[in-house]
Amino acid sequence: MDIQLIKNEAVTTIRFIGRLDTPASADAAKAVEPALQDAAGTIVLDCSEMTYISSSGLRIFLTLRKAAAAAGGKVIVQHISPDIRQVFMITGFLNLFEIED
Amino acid sequence: MDPIAEIILDEYRENLPRFRETEADVTGRLSKALSEMGLRVAAVEARIKTEASLRGKLLAKGGKYHSLTDITDILGIRVITFYIDDVDKVASAVDRLFTIDWENSVDKRKIHEIDSFGYLSLHYICSVPGFPYKFEIQMRTLLQHAWANLNHDTGYKSGVEIPRFYQRNMSRLAGMLELIDDEFSRIRAELAAYRRRIQALVASGNLDEVPLDGDSFRSFLQMEPFDILNRKIAAINQAEIEKVPLMDFLAVFKMLGCNTLGDVVSLIKKYSEAAYQIACYQISVTDLDILSSSIGPQNICIAAILASGGGRAGIRHMLDLLNGSSEGNDALAAVLLDQAKGLPFMNQ
Repeated sequence: MDIQLIKNEAVTTIRFIGRLDTPASADAAKAVEPALQDAAGTIVLDCSEMTYISSSGLRIFLTLRKAAAAAGGKVIVQHISPDIRQVFMITGFLNLFEIED
Repeated sequence: MDPIAEIILDEYRENLPRFRETEADVTGRLSKALSEMGLRVAAVEARIKTEASLRGKLLAKGGKYHSLTDITDILGIRVITFYIDDVDKVASAVDRLFTIDWENSVDKRKIHEIDSFGYLSLHYICSVPGFPYKFEIQMRTLLQHAWANLNHDTGYKSGVEIPRFYQRNMSRLAGMLELIDDEFSRIRAELAAYRRRIQALVASGNLDEVPLDGDSFRSFLQMEPFDILNRKIAAINQAEIEKVPLMDFLAVFKMLGCNTLGDVVSLIKKYSEAAYQIACYQISVTDLDILSSSIGPQNICIAAILASGGGRAGIRHMLDLLNGSSEGNDALAAVLLDQAKGLPFMNQ
């Protein structure tokens, strides 16, 4: 899993490339940590190149959502594949995030 | 300008930093106290009189003031409330925090004759230990504030006698705003009483009598009505449940024709097993071990829609209500419909 973090004024975009599975999650959690400092703004999770998400990956998304909610910011999940949308659905995560196609 | 006025101005300039410190201290303490009381106000404003304004005052009222301590509005603070009955609550906070000079404080709400209407505001002259100058705190409602500002803007300080028709019209408006202030307070009190009644009905279990609305649904959710189902679903994969707000489901239950909380309870009873079947089918073949607490209500709503023949369009509508409109919701609805076809509840 490759993670790119791009900060542009009040918007922090995190691009997830590859599989966000359990082995990749520890590094991923560290990689997204800087975004927690900017949780008062908008955090965009760009999933256009994410091919899989595990429970550990969902927990990372949840951490970002909680930080944003506490700081008055928001998290937008962008471009999730139909399979990942289904994972969000069956775990009850779909309506936790603003999802953009 | 007489020499005493010049001395007062010198003292003002010398003590300006202390006024600024006191301004920050007093507004900070007041805002904190109001917040701790759970009292939401429209604004807490503060200003320090400018040197030009003080000079003007000394010129206009020369001889009245002998030292800077005689002038009690160098620092002025204003608390603007939304509701008229909050003015007295703010006053009680001010009374607790600062020393009030009652002799010079004015309740302008009480000085009007029974047949006159006009400026209504509560003015306290206050002091704090360690700062020799008094300051003024004005407390009034947003509508009183609007009236006072407009009245002030159109002639109050002009020194020119105001035409009678203008005065009369402003008095008429003051009377009307007084009525509106009272009405806002009455509406708030009625709403609070309604909420208490709904909470009591929810607590007593008379849910068929409780209309489904934002207040009643919020009270209902405090009873954790989906908790049993959620725990049953979580047990499938020994998953943890992340508690999340469920208010968005109000629109979905309304869409499903629920008019009372009793209707929602009926739906939960009727479709909990089907909701569990959906969850079993979807997550038992995965290693997903985290769920949100919306999984229970979500699956109940899916089951209710499918069992009543709502099909793909019904599911799409539900997903649009919960997540915002999206084409992705349509594809997801198709998948859900396909998955559910083989489940026992669809064939009963």
